[in-house]
Amino acid sequence: MKNKFLKLPIILFFIILFIFFYLLIIDRNPAKVPSALLNKNVPIFVTKTLVKNEKFSSSKEFGDQVTLVNFFATWCKPCKDEHAFIMRFSSEKNIKIVGINYKDNPKKTIEWLKKLGNPYSNVALDKNGKIAIDWGVYGIPETFIINSRGIIKYRHVGAITPKIYKKINLIIKEIE
Amino acid sequence: MAPTLGNLALWLSLVFAGSQFYNTRKKNKLKIISISVIGLLISSLFSFFLLIYLYVISDFSVLNVFQNSHTTKPLFYKITAVWGNHEGSMLLWIIVLTIFNYFIFKLYNKKNFIFVSKTLEIQSFITLGFIVFTILTSNPFERMVPVQENGLGFNPILQDPALAIHPPLLYIGYVGFSAAFSISVATLVLKNGKNFPWYKYMKPFVMVAWTFLTIGIALGSLWAYYELGWGGWWFWDPVENASFMPWLLGTALLHSLIIVDKKQSLQAWVLLLSILAFLLSVVGTFLVRSGILTSVHAFALDPTRGIYILLFIAILGGYSLMLFSSKSKIYSTKNYFNFFSKEGSILVNNIIMVVACATVLLGTIYPLLMEALTGNKISIGEPYYNSTVVPIMLPAILIMGVGPILSWGKESVLEIAKKVSSVFIITLAMTIIIFSIYKSYTFLGIAGIVLAFWIIFNNLTTLYRNKFNNLTGMVVAHLGVGFLMLGITASSIWQVEEIIKMKLKSETEINKYQIFFNEINEIKGSNYLSLRGDFLVYDKGKNIIAKLKPENRFYPVTGNFTSEASIHTNLFRDLYIVLGEGNINEGWTVRLYYNPLVVWIWIGAFTIFLGGVISINKSLKRMPK
Repeated sequence: MKNKFLKLPIILFFIILFIFFYLLIIDRNPAKVPSALLNKNVPIFVTKTLVKNEKFSSSKEFGDQVTLVNFFATWCKPCKDEHAFIMRFSSEKNIKIVGINYKDNPKKTIEWLKKLGNPYSNVALDKNGKIAIDWGVYGIPETFIINSRGIIKYRHVGAITPKIYKKINLIIKEIE
Repeated sequence: MAPTLGNLALWLSLVFAGSQFYNTRKKNKLKIISISVIGLLISSLFSFFLLIYLYVISDFSVLNVFQNSHTTKPLFYKITAVWGNHEGSMLLWIIVLTIFNYFIFKLYNKKNFIFVSKTLEIQSFITLGFIVFTILTSNPFERMVPVQENGLGFNPILQDPALAIHPPLLYIGYVGFSAAFSISVATLVLKNGKNFPWYKYMKPFVMVAWTFLTIGIALGSLWAYYELGWGGWWFWDPVENASFMPWLLGTALLHSLIIVDKKQSLQAWVLLLSILAFLLSVVGTFLVRSGILTSVHAFALDPTRGIYILLFIAILGGYSLMLFSSKSKIYSTKNYFNFFSKEGSILVNNIIMVVACATVLLGTIYPLLMEALTGNKISIGEPYYNSTVVPIMLPAILIMGVGPILSWGKESVLEIAKKVSSVFIITLAMTIIIFSIYKSYTFLGIAGIVLAFWIIFNNLTTLYRNKFNNLTGMVVAHLGVGFLMLGITASSIWQVEEIIKMKLKSETEINKYQIFFNEINEIKGSNYLSLRGDFLVYDKGKNIIAKLKPENRFYPVTGNFTSEASIHTNLFRDLYIVLGEGNINEGWTVRLYYNPLVVWIWIGAFTIFLGGVISINKSLKRMPK
């Protein structure tokens, strides 16, 4: 009995090490927050577009080609930081880009896009943040990749960095 | 030239560590061992100072300097950048190891040759492991071509005096436990360990490790308080936990060593604790450097590093714990304690510390366990720790007030009551006074405040009665825990937070203070640009008490933004203000905190440190000659 008790520390120790080891060798990204929507259809919503103030319907916008959806706002600093990458996606023309303008002032947003360049083929307004809630957005910026059948394939929380930029490009190739 | 020399010195320290391992194992002559020990010390110090030199002269042919430094950085931060990154901090870790190694070597006398040699053998094995790791996966002297004009600069939130000395102090703590580990393993290997006063050798090392770990953690927490701008000082971040766990075990170890010294019982327990304390320190390193979890502290992601450290932990832990399970039986005794005695109170303290440590460990690795088993990610945060660790620790604090004044052996309950009655009355009075000022009641809050005063006044009376004696260090450290407890409780239960949008020349109020937003200016710092708000604080009588100047800094080299909180401190409260986003038309988002008694956390930590230093002094004098 006593001897078994003395072996307890070593048994627990190796169980913990084994977990660490397992997590090290499997392919995972600890910074990645999984989306409950991954591999599911895009949430359905209807709202207004930014520039022309027309009807924006999710079922019409998504599902005909691979689309990048970017939640952004003019008041968010990281959004400004990642804007260059969104511009790059738009100049490469591999993918349709839709912006969702989160809790923002439309006039300011139009000015902002004039100044920094407008990479979006269309911008939907999410004035009270309801669309973001449906998409499970943590905090902007957030970027989603949707395949040509309207299914969410990838999600990134936070600004796009050079590393994420490369990764998104790979994913686009993969699902095309 | 210098980088090659540094690399050479690193390889040389590998050779000396290897030779120390070989010669202590073969029990060769003292002279040969001393050459290895001193050679190891000098070569590792030399490589460390060379790296500092490379940072000072901004030698961008070295990858590590290029990645972490910049010519515009002030000299002081060029130097501290050496350990602000993974590779350089490994070098710091190694020199602390070799310094402790040297102190173990200094223990040699006529009677303990075999014991000290064995300890040095284990210590050199640990050192070897870290040197090989550094050379193979994290060599700070690695060159790069082509040579760059200027460096990348480094994370500006690390550019701070408290953070500059936080890692070295923390490492003295972590690595200090390596000496206890080596002594413990050496003892278990030894044939007549039971009759050998190994604990007398272990005690000063544990004291040093624990004392420095305490102040290291406190400085990190102080930095988080004023630099991160969240108004708090502890976030139960996995890496904070990684330093807190060895601290808890170290606390248990420190107290058990007193019993071993006095009564020769609990030996097996102490041997186990000292092994676990160091293993947990290395696991902490693993958590930070393997990229297995995310945290504000995490270094760059690199799985090969993780695998290496893990392998090393497996060897250290496997060997030592196996040894423990087969050899520790002779150290177990069947001495039972009386509950109402000094040893009884220490034993209860031990159980509580270990349970608290296990709770923190569970909270830290549970998300990893769940992910390994189910593939789902979960996160465990503050609510878990606040509702588990805090209540677990409360009884320990209660006992802490009484324990030191109990006698060894047995004591009647009546005697105890006599000893504490006056303190009991003062405590009650103070509690009533403070609650009549702050007027907010929660169960944990009342318990925390009562216990804090309980400890403070118990120790103050002891200090007053006994003047300066053997126990002074302990009493001072306990007094510090009382202050700490007061600060923690008060700032947790009475903190007031306001987040508002303020325009220039507008005014707001927080807890009887008027805050006036006077002006906003652009400032040019040494290597940053900043937007600085100017806030005037008035009290009820419209007198200006303070000017607070929170900043939003931009570091052009790395492109980082940081916010510098501005804090007005006195013994009763902190006024804490953070400038957020905004512009001249709409005003700025401003966060205001009223943090009562928070300064007592740092006063407490420093008092504990002081107590530790006094005790180190005492225990060094009592080393076997």
